[in-house]
Amino acid sequence: MIRVELIVEVDGKEVYRGPSKSFVRNMGIVLAGMLKNNGDAGTFKSVVVTGLDGGSTYAYVELPAPGNYSAGPLVFNAGDNDDSFGIVVGSGSAPVSPYDYNLASKIPHGTGTGQLDYDTHSTISSYGGSSSYVEISRTFVNKSGSDVVVREVGLVGCSFHSYQDIYYKFMVARDVLPNPVTVKPLASLIVRYRLSLALT
Amino acid sequence: MELELSPIRGYIEVLVFDKEGRVVQQGRHPMRSFLNNFLKFFEAFSKSDGVSITDTGGTARTIYGSGVGYQSRLGGLAPDNDDSYGILVGSGTTPVDLTQIRLASKITHGTATGQLDYDAVSVDDLGLDTSVTPPVYRFRLCRTFKNLSTASVTITEVGIAVRTRQGGDDLRFLISRDLLPTSYTVPAGGSAAVIVTVEVEMG
Repeated sequence: MIRVELIVEVDGKEVYRGPSKSFVRNMGIVLAGMLKNNGDAGTFKSVVVTGLDGGSTYAYVELPAPGNYSAGPLVFNAGDNDDSFGIVVGSGSAPVSPYDYNLASKIPHGTGTGQLDYDTHSTISSYGGSSSYVEISRTFVNKSGSDVVVREVGLVGCSFHSYQDIYYKFMVARDVLPNPVTVKPLASLIVRYRLSLALT
Repeated sequence: MELELSPIRGYIEVLVFDKEGRVVQQGRHPMRSFLNNFLKFFEAFSKSDGVSITDTGGTARTIYGSGVGYQSRLGGLAPDNDDSYGILVGSGTTPVDLTQIRLASKITHGTATGQLDYDAVSVDDLGLDTSVTPPVYRFRLCRTFKNLSTASVTITEVGIAVRTRQGGDDLRFLISRDLLPTSYTVPAGGSAAVIVTVEVEMG
């Protein structure tokens, strides 16, 4: 059995832990598209997903990356200060729909009022014979002088090919928190997605 | 007590046909056993450094979310006669362990006794179903196995292996293995169809 948990902490204190049930349509398309590929290589094989602007974009299931250029069919590990993919947070509370393609109201990276400083991602994992997990997390710091209220969390994937300067981004999960989480000035917020396996 | 459902789940359906094409045995079972290798792909998607993983040949590999050279992930569309990936069947009965990297006893492709002729895998993207609560996104993998030998062949386990190209490496990894609660006997001249339907629960 696979479980997906969403964990939210403020200043090291857990304020929410619950099942994440909010994959959106893009996740199904990407998983199906990967399996519908023969794993061969040499062309750009892709599936059409909904981009962050609501228009069609592509998720690559296969990419050739010549020379010193790099490519990734699906990555989540956005770097420091990059709020365009990976774990993202927002202030919107619109109910989740399978057709969601972006947060209702993303809190952007920054140090101004209503912004949060987006850190890098961290990943931990543990693999056993009867249970295993992998957890991806991201820290956000409020460097402004005002409270920032977080009501929604999203996971945005990126398919990229550096040679052709392709960076297609699309949301695969969105959760609305049952209660708003207030991040005080200079406080830190950590959001964790944990995928676990257990024999049943 | 409410039954807990996994947000990514599946069902395995097996149909056995005799040489006249009549269904002689069929069943549908929950797919219980995605393996550690499946999770390791998600770990690779989430980090810059590599993830250690073992291929179906028992060789330790390292996969990355990105890299130079050819990059593909989780390919399941195996062609005709290829028993290295896609839906695989076996005759083993070893209990499932999440660390497993291959079927306990794979039935190999071929026409000799104890073998099955592997057809190509088909994958159907069935799309979003909003008629159920919560909505689910479904896709289905299907493969037919013909028994061209003169003796029956018994299927007791089903797995999914995927093909991944990374740089110059052409790799195979087992991502699920299920022991069937019922064994399926494919008569000489008959065939079996194995259908794996995966559901991803939506918000």
